[in-house]
Amino acid sequence: MDLLLRVEDMSVTYRNREKSVYAVRNANMEIFRGDSIGIVGESGSGKSTLAMGLLRLLPQHSAEVTGRAEYLGKDLLSLSENEMNELRWKNISVVFQKAMNSFSPVHRIGSQLIDIYRVHFPKAPKKEILERAEETLRLVNLGERVFKMYPYQLSGGMMQRVAIATALLHEPDLLIMDEATTALDVVTQGQILKEIQQMEQRLNTTRIMITHDMSVVAASCSRIAVMYAGEIVEQGGVKEVFRAPAHPYTAGLLGSFPSLRGEVKELTSIPGTLPDLSKLPQGCVFAPRCPKATERCRTEAPATRIIAPGRTAACHYAGGGNHEA
Amino acid sequence: MLKYVLKKLAFAVFTVLLVMTLNFTLIHLAPGSPVDIIIGPDNQDPALRAALMETYGLDKPVIVQFFRYIGQLLHGNMGSSIVFHTPVAEMIGSKFAATFMLVFTAAVLALIIGAAMGITAGRKEGGFLDKVFSYTSYTFNAMPSFWLALMLIILFATTLRWLPSSGMVTPRAKFTGFRYTLDVLYHMVLPLLTLLLLRIPGYFRTTKSSVLQVNSEDYITTLRATGMSEKKIFRKYVLKNAILPVVTSFGMSMAFLIAGVSLIEIVFAWPGTGRVMLTAINQRDYPVLMGVYLIMSIMVALTMIVVDIVYAILDPRIRY
Amino acid sequence: MNRVKKILRTIRDDSQLMFGCIGICIMLLMIVLAPVITRWPGDYYGPDSLAAPGVNGHILGTNHMGQDVWSMVVYGIRTSLKVAVVSACISGLIGIVVGGVAGYFGGIVDRIVSEIINVFMMLPTLFLVLLVVSLFGNSIFHVMVVIGLTTWPSNAKLMRAQALSLRQRTFVISARTMGETKLQILFRYIIPNGIFPVISNTTMRMAGAILTEASLSFLGLGDPTVVSWGQMVYDGKAYMTQGWWVCVFAGLAIVLTVLVFYMMGDGINHVLNPKYAKGGKK
Repeated sequence: MDLLLRVEDMSVTYRNREKSVYAVRNANMEIFRGDSIGIVGESGSGKSTLAMGLLRLLPQHSAEVTGRAEYLGKDLLSLSENEMNELRWKNISVVFQKAMNSFSPVHRIGSQLIDIYRVHFPKAPKKEILERAEETLRLVNLGERVFKMYPYQLSGGMMQRVAIATALLHEPDLLIMDEATTALDVVTQGQILKEIQQMEQRLNTTRIMITHDMSVVAASCSRIAVMYAGEIVEQGGVKEVFRAPAHPYTAGLLGSFPSLRGEVKELTSIPGTLPDLSKLPQGCVFAPRCPKATERCRTEAPATRIIAPGRTAACHYAGGGNHEA
Repeated sequence: MLKYVLKKLAFAVFTVLLVMTLNFTLIHLAPGSPVDIIIGPDNQDPALRAALMETYGLDKPVIVQFFRYIGQLLHGNMGSSIVFHTPVAEMIGSKFAATFMLVFTAAVLALIIGAAMGITAGRKEGGFLDKVFSYTSYTFNAMPSFWLALMLIILFATTLRWLPSSGMVTPRAKFTGFRYTLDVLYHMVLPLLTLLLLRIPGYFRTTKSSVLQVNSEDYITTLRATGMSEKKIFRKYVLKNAILPVVTSFGMSMAFLIAGVSLIEIVFAWPGTGRVMLTAINQRDYPVLMGVYLIMSIMVALTMIVVDIVYAILDPRIRY
Repeated sequence: MNRVKKILRTIRDDSQLMFGCIGICIMLLMIVLAPVITRWPGDYYGPDSLAAPGVNGHILGTNHMGQDVWSMVVYGIRTSLKVAVVSACISGLIGIVVGGVAGYFGGIVDRIVSEIINVFMMLPTLFLVLLVVSLFGNSIFHVMVVIGLTTWPSNAKLMRAQALSLRQRTFVISARTMGETKLQILFRYIIPNGIFPVISNTTMRMAGAILTEASLSFLGLGDPTVVSWGQMVYDGKAYMTQGWWVCVFAGLAIVLTVLVFYMMGDGINHVLNPKYAKGGKK
């Protein structure tokens, strides 16, 4: 398999006059072509910040991004603005959560599609663009009639489809979906997830799926990265991680997510809330909420270790560690 | 669209009726009899009094009086000046053009300049220009209109002697044609400058915060993610979205402007409705005062209709 | 004790709030110390007519009647603050009740009240104010009441928006299911929780009231029995060429006072509005 994106020690820090918020810390990730990786975590865990950092869409004056993010050998974080713009949408595109707000409310959808298309092909004739747009719209079961419409004339689900179609205009290698199906009802969500997977197979797209919903990951991803308080605490294949979570936080998340198949379990929730990211605890960030935390967890931050081929976890006791329990 | 315009028209009519009702209520609440307020306490002409009693049905129940009053107003009869015995409509009408010229020019220029400043500042928030604009507009916003007018007179007329301090034309010059126009423009500079300095801050603030707001909208982030140039994003998408609240504030600002212009006309002896109003205040000429209030309100209501239609053209969400 | 400390820190952290508070403290001090910091009472007519600043101990000069400008400026604070506070409080109270009722009761009441608010927000209020003052007599009491009665719509609009969002909140819904009456809920939950934007707006309106009072005085509709800055500008206007100081200093007093209230209002808004409180300040 060929490596598409390698994230190395990437950190994002928000700074203002009063304090620094360490929103993402030392994230490491390898994403191969054709993968679909789900990044999960509670809101505030830094998953969106990580994605926005990769896309270089964070406010420059307040967010400091360090580390490397190699996309086919080019470091996204140190490219010039022009080089980055070259990659945007043609190679890497994104779908945001609130599709209704992803389009200017006072311009027709068609006009916006044309503008977006022409970013990379300034001379493309209108007819050609609309034909291409229609093709992508058909992938999400929409027709060319949306060209003449304004966003407010479509439902949330339809706008989400338009947003996805727009992201696929140039058949990008990498598609980032930031809570892109969260606002939809379960039926529409399932339908869209299925369509996306079919499309991916055809176009060989790689997808990063940011969500707080484990079931979305289970239904549509091949790999998973769990984030907690700005750190990637566990990574691995979806099947392996779901079968045997190595990090107590992952276990907690899975405990609070109802299994569709299998016996009925009592749902457990994780007590406590996210720590204040401007002053982090000394040891493991999850220790204050961890049911299995020991003295060591509270004083020594665990390193991220490879616990099995293609699987990492940041827990002292992961992968055959000696948890008493 | 038609439904929308009709709704706005109904709103305007409602406004004007409300002002009429207020006027009526005030006449009846004020100390002294309504007749005295309408024709003045010094006028004891019994024939006139009888005629008034008849027209407004002053011996009838209040509700009848109310409808007669509104009826008279709808026929364009706003009563006569207590002092000059000329119809109020005529008095205000003859001075209205001068006021309108000043207000309209100021409104449009303030909108253009204020919006331009707001856009500049909004694009580079915290930059040098933003700071300069913000502080100056904050200060000008705190100035009483008449005082600013006086200060400008002290500076430009009394001290520097660049501009005339009062009037609309040079007395006894008897200019005609183009020279006349130039003379009027020359006299208009200071009153116009005062109005602009007072109104630009409002547009500046609205535009700036609107640009900042739009800049943080999701769709702008999406456009950035597509690699579109900042220039294009700004010219096509930020601008059109950001200008909408500014258009709305144009209507609102009209009310301030119209109130402000009266005071400024007084300071500059500009021959508009402000002068009429001042004389009326000094003479307690109530029919004229009420007339001014009514006419100004109608003017605001009409502006609002135009603004609403422009808004509907710009924002597709309104047209349904 | 802790609370006081916390409030003081909040004030220190927002420069606008700090300047606003300092400004108001200075004004209050000047009112209290008026007899100490001025040599003549505000209504003293001295022998020096139109004395330039500095002449015969008149720091800011005198007007055509021989009144000391500095004394008048100092005694004028009292009038301005009185007008500001009384009229803004009237406006705030009406706005809170009307807006709260409209937003919380909803339905037809809300629609009618909102339309009325919209109409009043766009009407040129100054004309109404001067009409009323000229009809009912130009005492400072009338001026204050009328300004209060004509400026409530902006407060009502803010309160209405607050009430609209608050009535969806759990604690209001639970109070309703507990059987509390609409009025009880309005006064116990909606108004106390939604009052903050109105407070900031009321502070801004104080500045507006000062400007309106000045305008009325300038039109000759001020109360002749009190010292008013607007009145001073009006009187000084005729003698502008011989004595610029009367107009200039009286007007500067207005500008500074209005600025103090603006800063206070902005500062309160920054502190109470969560949108500003989180993202740090600009």
